[in-house]
Parts: sequence; structure tokens; C-alpha cells
Amino acid sequence: MKDLLRILIAPLVWLATFSAIYGLLGLICGHGIGGTVLGLSLPRVLLITAYALAILLQVALLAVLYHPRLASRSGFVRFVSRITGWVGLVATGYALFPATVSSVCL
Amino acid sequence: MNALERHRRLTTIWASEPGMRGWVSTVNHTDLGRMFLFTAFVFFVIGGLLAMLIRAQLATPHSAFAGPEIYNQIFTMHGTIMMFLFAIPSFEGLAIYLLPKILGTRDLAFPRLTAYGYWCYVFGGAMLLVSMLLGIAPDGGWFIYPPLSGAIHSPGINIDFWLIGITFVEISAIAAAVEITVSILKYRAPGMSLEKMPIFAWYALITALMILTGFPPLILESVLLELERAFGLPFFQAELGGDSLLWQHLFWLFGHPEVYIIFLPAAGVISTVLPVMCRTTLLGYGWIVAAAVALAFLSFGLWVHHMFTTGIPHMGLAFFSAASTLVAVPTGVQIFAWIGTMWKGRPELHLPMLHILGFFCTFVIGGLTGVMVAVVPFDWQAHDTAFITAHLHYVLFGGFVFPILAGVYYWLPHVTGQRRFFRLGELAFALVFLGFHVTFLAMHWVGLMGQRRRIPTYAPEDGWTAINLISSIGSFVLAIGLAMIVIDVVLHALIAARGKRNPWGAGTSEWAMMTPPPAYNFASLPHVDSRAPLAADPNLAVRLARGEGYLATPRKGWRETLSVDIATGRPEMHVIYPANTRLPVTMSAVTGLFFLSLLVKFYWTVPLALAGVVILAWKWVWGLGCKEDLGALRVREGVTLPNAATAERSPGWWGTLFLLTANATFFGSLLFGFAFLWTVAPGWPPPAWFAGSMVTAGVGCLGALLGPVAMRQAIRANRRGDTPLPGIVLVLIGALGVAIACTAMMLQTPAPMGHAYGATLLVLGGYGLFHAVLGVLMAVFLTARVLSGFTSPARWAEFPIVCLWIDYLSIVSLLILLAGHLPGLLS
Amino acid sequence: MYSTLDPAGPAARNIATLWWVMLGGATFIFGLVMILLLLSFTRRKGAGGEARQLRIWVIGLGLVFPLAVLGALFACGLVIGERLLARADPEVTRVSAEARSWAWSFAYEDAPGQRTEGVLHIPAGRPVDVAITTADVIHSFWVPRLAGKLDAIPGRVNVLRIEADLPGTYRGLSAEFSGAGYGGFTFQVTAHDAAGWDAFLEDARR
Repeated sequence: MKDLLRILIAPLVWLATFSAIYGLLGLICGHGIGGTVLGLSLPRVLLITAYALAILLQVALLAVLYHPRLASRSGFVRFVSRITGWVGLVATGYALFPATVSSVCL
Repeated sequence: MNALERHRRLTTIWASEPGMRGWVSTVNHTDLGRMFLFTAFVFFVIGGLLAMLIRAQLATPHSAFAGPEIYNQIFTMHGTIMMFLFAIPSFEGLAIYLLPKILGTRDLAFPRLTAYGYWCYVFGGAMLLVSMLLGIAPDGGWFIYPPLSGAIHSPGINIDFWLIGITFVEISAIAAAVEITVSILKYRAPGMSLEKMPIFAWYALITALMILTGFPPLILESVLLELERAFGLPFFQAELGGDSLLWQHLFWLFGHPEVYIIFLPAAGVISTVLPVMCRTTLLGYGWIVAAAVALAFLSFGLWVHHMFTTGIPHMGLAFFSAASTLVAVPTGVQIFAWIGTMWKGRPELHLPMLHILGFFCTFVIGGLTGVMVAVVPFDWQAHDTAFITAHLHYVLFGGFVFPILAGVYYWLPHVTGQRRFFRLGELAFALVFLGFHVTFLAMHWVGLMGQRRRIPTYAPEDGWTAINLISSIGSFVLAIGLAMIVIDVVLHALIAARGKRNPWGAGTSEWAMMTPPPAYNFASLPHVDSRAPLAADPNLAVRLARGEGYLATPRKGWRETLSVDIATGRPEMHVIYPANTRLPVTMSAVTGLFFLSLLVKFYWTVPLALAGVVILAWKWVWGLGCKEDLGALRVREGVTLPNAATAERSPGWWGTLFLLTANATFFGSLLFGFAFLWTVAPGWPPPAWFAGSMVTAGVGCLGALLGPVAMRQAIRANRRGDTPLPGIVLVLIGALGVAIACTAMMLQTPAPMGHAYGATLLVLGGYGLFHAVLGVLMAVFLTARVLSGFTSPARWAEFPIVCLWIDYLSIVSLLILLAGHLPGLLS
Repeated sequence: MYSTLDPAGPAARNIATLWWVMLGGATFIFGLVMILLLLSFTRRKGAGGEARQLRIWVIGLGLVFPLAVLGALFACGLVIGERLLARADPEVTRVSAEARSWAWSFAYEDAPGQRTEGVLHIPAGRPVDVAITTADVIHSFWVPRLAGKLDAIPGRVNVLRIEADLPGTYRGLSAEFSGAGYGGFTFQVTAHDAAGWDAFLEDARR
């Protein structure tokens, strides 16, 4: 069961953070959250912070999957879980990238 | 004991009853797999006939063949049947037939559940067919968007047939998914570690996990919409605090993964059949497993791409556009790994291989147009046009029907033990391939020329006439091809030309048995140390028949098998299966009575049916287990194993865990719906918030916290040899506390018919109450089991199962009480 | 008449160009896959060890190639999508469109009180923002030759930017299934030149 978890965890976390940031956007646009901090628009700052956190989380997961003591004992599971770990990281970086450039509530 | 005598004795133990009686009482996976597949293909034919009617209607402009009222029913039923009554059940059927054989064991984890799922599917499907025969079939499209499908705009019974019939059928999907998941994880041949699992099992495992998490949102929203239609709880009515977009979110949260739930098993068939056709092994096994996992997860993050035109902010669309393009990458990995496999081997053009080539040609086009519609601006034009109709047929026919036909031709010799006599299949393939592309290739174009989906007719000056006529002609060629395949298969079954045992020279263990397969699959269970045990040891079938494996000696008339450790495949437990019984068919009939009563609004039979289900479920679980300790059982020379009744994590525990996974997704979707309405829906805040009383909330919280503690106390007492009854009584009291709090919430919620807020709290409270009642019933059941001597300090497997439910009850009831009181406290 | 490939406005033109580019790319990729498939049937020496095959097939063709193509395509779509949004613009004319089963009714910011049924009047050569609402079920506002479609959702207002290059008549469709009358649920957009648009507004004021 732990081995299965190792394989599934990174994409699962991707799904959670992806949905959460989409939810954050819904909240920002639905409630007209605006204003500025340090000259930047607050919605953009919130979204970019969340994006960065999501990436950090994936990097941490990948580190765990590569850690000699935390990785699986089965070579096969190590291999597959590291690929899915990379999938989580790439998917986070790629799919949430519009948080940095796209117009927010149009 | 020689091989023949072993065969005789095992057959007596495992065989179904003869004749028609066997059909209703069988719990054998080979029987049920065949029945599932047969029924699914019957629905495929019905869905195909409906498609012919659609094409007949659209063949010429100003067609008067069917009016819009009938036409709307036809295309709604075509989509519904193909998705819910053909595609998913045929995966279930294939997996049910194949998995135990390919995993080197004797049956699936819960044989009676297989049968229950099958009968739910048959009865639910029959309900939808009846609606069609009476001309009152669902007519809101297979996605039945409210408010069009709400009581105001669709007052008839049509939509109720969809909501209730499909929910009934989905019971079988959930049942099969739990079954398949536990079977793959726990019921494999000894020695088969995760990395030695045949690739089909990986695909089936991932698909089953996706069903467990993909279908609950659909079931939830069907329940909500039916509550709105029947009792006026306004979940989807904007003017009363509901939101029609909530339906779309939940529907596509199910609907997109559904596409991959359909594609992944087909990919599993290709990954199994293709290497055999190429005389080689699969290239990049580990990569393919990782790609399938990636595909599964990514597919849950795409749902909004069906909603690009609903006015969601562009950044939101961009997220989902990015994820939708990304999903093509793991698909690409699989496609190129398969082509690499062909380069590695020597492809031979047998009939299954033709269908696989058909798959490549068709599915690649479907994938490419899929990438196109993932690009937001293009989708703004293409959405809801014939372009999408064409695209989805390329994906589903290419990605499912061709591979399944490859699978049918590949495994037919296994099912019948015969070989093909007439060479009809090649011609049939050519017709299907040509017919399909003639029908759908030009349909992309007519979509770009502005032809919308689902229109009943069009005018000559619209400029769509020629393409539609070509499509219709192609569709009839396609239909003739498919009919020829049916004839070919029937002839194959009827004409007895004895086939070889392993006609394709495959390496997986389903071919290491006589064909047609005996009821017990393997006379003795193999020890597996490779992904292709039959390639490693061509003599495997004979050795197993001779009894050179596990459980070679039948004992006490038990249907015996082994369960293994998930990761390593080390044998772990000895399992005794239940034998033939009519309990599943009876229980699904009573379940059907429940749904039917709701459908025709005959509410006084609802509690009767519910009571019937409870009584039968009680009987179901009561029939398992025994009143004395079995001790360690010898399963092979020098190997003894404990019985599953002594395990902390018995098969029942695993089944419960995955059922609760689906249940938790259902509950999570409900909480999501609440949060969505609260933050996004127009018409909020509601006129009044739920105040609640501290007393009932406190009782509920205490009850929720008491349950898990008391249950653990009961387990410890039982293990020590003391009586667990005081602990169980406390569990019961805890569940009653939760029931009181949830009932109070349901009674005091403000105006459930006046605003979606009150309606949501009512459902949340109802969900909590349902689980509290379940907790009470389980505590009572456990008490009865303890008193009747079914448990002992060693035989304690039932305690951890009840413990899981009580823990779940505790968590959800705390969340429900929090969700119920939070908005009132915040304001 | 309804063809998205015969664009008459900037939004539809952008999307049509996008389509032709994608069609070209897709044809190329499809051809490539088919050639690789066919070549597998020809006799030839094995392409090296398993590790090398994995590098070619899985990493090269399966991972790197799609990621590069899809990344470029996604960026393209994002830029075009941003360009088509209804941003604030002093040139914009605002109209509103309300759908009900099965008719459209249009109102004009510049001509309060004026309503038209089934025909939307707009000035040609100027961006127009259509505020889309519904009185009953979900519908969708679509003029294929001018722009993509946008849904009319109960309780919400969605704004779509359209623009017609030249005066003329453009056919519109309601593109979300809406029950028995869905098939015939169409409308018209009439784009006026400057003089014609002034006359339309003048007419309304009278």
C-alpha cells in the first residue's frame, strides 16, 4: 500500500493544488478581491505565491522519492514513482503557468 | 490424486448449477464475465440502431423522419447507452472474465458482489429500455444540463428515468471497481510482485481506482437533481440560490475522467495483444505504467475544458487548456512505446492486429483533434458543433471499439476453445474501418461550417447536405461491418472446430489452462516469477493440472484460494469463497424496487425496499465466517497460512477501504458543491443562516469522538479474551449521538425549498444521519456475531472492518457539523 | 453562411488562421505516425538494445516531441485568447442579448428603450460587446463568421466581444441544446456602415 502511495502521491498533490488554485481564482473573481501590495495587484501576488508554493511542494515530494531512506525498496516502484514525481512537478509548472501572465478576471 | 480426478473434484466444488438456475445463482467470474460482455454487446447493438436512426434523420435536409421530441430521445439514449450501458460494462465484463486468469488465481475477491453488480446493471439498463419502448425516454442530452432538465422545463418522467436508472446502473460500476481493485492488489498468484503483474492488470487497477473517484460526483449530482425535481430542493435554480454551473462542474468532473476510464482498459488490451502479435515483449513496461498513472491523474484536472464557453475567467480557462494539452504527453508515450514494440518485434497481420492498426489510425486523429479543441479560442468556435461529434467518435471508436474488437478476436478462442472457421472477420474489419472514416472524417468539416450538434434537421441552403449524406452512407457501411462481426462471432461459437490451447503463443497465464476454461481456472495455483509465466515455462498448464502448485488438494468442499501481500506477492492468507447463491439477484431486485418506487413516486414502498435491502445485506454478511478457529492451513508442501478470518486486514477490510474511498469522494463532492454555491453562485447570501443549538451540536461531536475510542477498546478487549460488548455498546451510543445532531440539523435548517443553502444543509444532515444509522446497524450486527460465537480472540477480522466505518462516521459527522454551523458563525 | 472558415471579423479570422496552422501540424504528425507504423512491417536489423530504443521511442518521440509541440501550441492559444477578450476600450459599442426558448431579444446602450427581436444591429468596423443573459434555460450566442460562442447562463451576465469588418448580414445560431425548439433557434446580425448605424440610433430615438 505504501508503494502504491509512492506512485500516486505526486500527481495526487498536483490535482489538489491545481484545483485549489483554480478555486482561489474563483474566489478572487467571484468576490472582486482587488487592491495592490508593493505596487503589484493583490490578486496577481496571491496567485503567484500559490503557484510558487505548489512548485515547492512538488520539489519536496521529488526529494522524498529520491531520498535513499524514504524511497521504496523495490527498484521497479522507485523507477515508476520517480517518473510520476516528475510528472507532478512538470504538470504543476506547466498547467499553472498562466497564473503569471494571463489576465486575471476577464 | 491424478489430474483427471482433481478436475472432477474441483468441478463439483466450483461449478454453477446446471441450466437456467445456474444463470441466476452463479457467482463464478467466468460466467459473470461472459454474461456482462454479452449484455454489453446487446446494448451496443441497441445503441448502434439508435445511431442509424440519427443518421437516417440527418441524411437529407428537412427530414420528417422523426420530430424533435422523438429525435431528442434518440440521441440522448444513443449517448447514454453507449457510455453507461456499453463502454463501462464491457470493460467490467472483460476485467471480470480475464483478471483472475491473467493473475493466476481462481476468482475475484468478492464473487457475490460481482453477481450483484451484474444484476443491478441488467435491471437498471432494462428500466431505461422500458422508457424507450414507452416513448418517454430521457430527452435532455446525455449530459442533461439543468435548468432544461429541471422540473419547470422538463416536467415529464423522462429525466427521472435517466437520473434514477443511471444511478442504479452505477452501483454496478462501483461494485465492480471495488472488486477489481481488491482483486488486483490482493488476489494474485504467489510470487507475483507489482512489477511482475501483467500490464493489463495495471491498466485495470488504474481504471478501477478512477471509477471509484470519478463516478461519485455523477451519483451525487443525480441525487441532487432528483431531489430538486421531486421535492423542490433548488440546487440548480439560480433564482433560489442554486447554480446550473454546479451541475456542469460535477458532471464534467465525472465526464472527463470517464473518457479515460473508457480508453485505459482498451490501452491495456493493446499493451497485452500487440506484443504477442509482434512476437516480442512490451517496450518500456515501467514507462507505460507511469504514463497510465499520469494519464489517470491529469484526466481529473481537465474537466473545465468542456466549459470553455460558459464565461469562466480566461486565466481559469488557460489552466485547463494547459492541462488538456499536457494529457497528450502520456498518451504519446504509450503510442510511441507501442510503435517501438512493433519495431522491436516482427508484426504479423492476424485479425486482432488489423483492429489494432485501425486503432492507431483512428485514435491518433482523435488525439490530434483533441489537442485542437484544448486550445481555448478554437474551442469557442468548435464547441457544440459536429466537429466535436466527429472528434469524440474518433476518440471513443478508435480508442475503445477497435481495441475491444481486437480483444474479442484475441480471446474468443479462449472463451470457446475453438478456432475461427469462416474468414468473415477480415472483410468485416475493412467495412468497419472504411465505414467509420467515411462517416466521421467529413463531419469535422461540416462542424466548422457551422452545423451544431443535436439539431434534428437543417435546410438545403445551409450548405451541409452533401457531407451529411456521405456520413449517413458511411454509417450504414459501418453498421453492415459490425453486423458481420456479430455473425462471425456467432459462427465461431457455433461451429465446433477444435482450437489449439494457446493459439497465439502468448506468455500470460490465462492461456495456461484448458479452453473453454474450467470453473476453477487452475487445478493448482502457479508460483509466478515472471511477467510471462507461460513463456518462461511452456509446460506450465500440464504441471498445474498435475497439481504442482498451491492448493492442489480440494478440501471439505471449500472454494479455496490465496491472497498475497500487495507489493511483493508473498502468499499471506488462505481464503474460502462463498458458493452459488441467489442472494445477489434477490438483493438487486429489491434494490431495483427501491429505485422503481422513487421513479414512479410510490413512496410508501421505499421504506419496505430499504428494509428488504437491510435484511438481505445482513444475511449476506452473516453467511460468512465460521464458529471455530481453523488454525494454520497447509496450502502446499511445507507452506502453511492463516485463514483470512484471523487477519487484521482481511479482504473485507480492503473492500471497505476502497468503498469508503468512493464514499469519501461523494462526500467531498458534496462539500465542494456547498463551497461552490456559497462563494460563486448568484443569489447568495441566503435570507437566513442556520443557527443550530449548542446542545445538539455538542451531543453530535461527543458521539463522533466516542465511537472510534470505544471501538478500539472493544478490539483490545476481544484480543485479550475479554468481552468486547461494553465497547460495542458505547459505539452504538456514539452513533446515536451523531444521529440526534444530524436529525436536529435537518429539522432546523432554514427553508430547504426556499434556498439552495437550506437544501444543502438538509442533504448534509441526511448524509450524516444515514451513516449514523449504518453505524448503529453495524454495532448491533457485531454484537449478534459476538453472541453467536463467530468471533474469538483469533477470529477478529470483522472488528477492524466495523472500525473503519466508525472512523469514517466520526470524520464525516464532525465535518458536517462544522460545515453546518460555520456560515452562521462567520456572519 | 455559417462557416467559421469564411471569417468576416477579427476574432473569427484569428481563429480560422489558428485552425489552418493546426490542421497543417496535425496532418504532418499523423503522416509521421503512419510512416513509422508502416516501416515496422519492413524487415530490418534491430535498432540496438532496449535502453537505446527507450531513448528513441519513449523519451524522444513520446516525451520531448509532444511537449515541444504542445507547449508552442498552448502559448499560441493563450496569446490569441488574450487578444480576443472584451477589454475596456473607448471605441466599444455595448448591446445586450437576452435569450429565452426560443427567441433572442436585443437592447442597445446607445438607444435606451429600443429592443429588437431576432435581429441584432451593430456598427461595422467597431468592436461591440454583447452582454448575454437568459430568461430560462442555458443558451449560447454564436455568430460563426464573426467570433466564437459564449453561453447565456441563468443568473449570470457574460460579455462577448464581436466585430464585423464590413456592413452586411451575418447569421447567428443558438448553440446550446435547449429542447424541442432548438433546431430552428437562429438569429441575425445586421452590421451597418457609419451612416446606417446613426440612422438606426436616430430611428430608435424617435
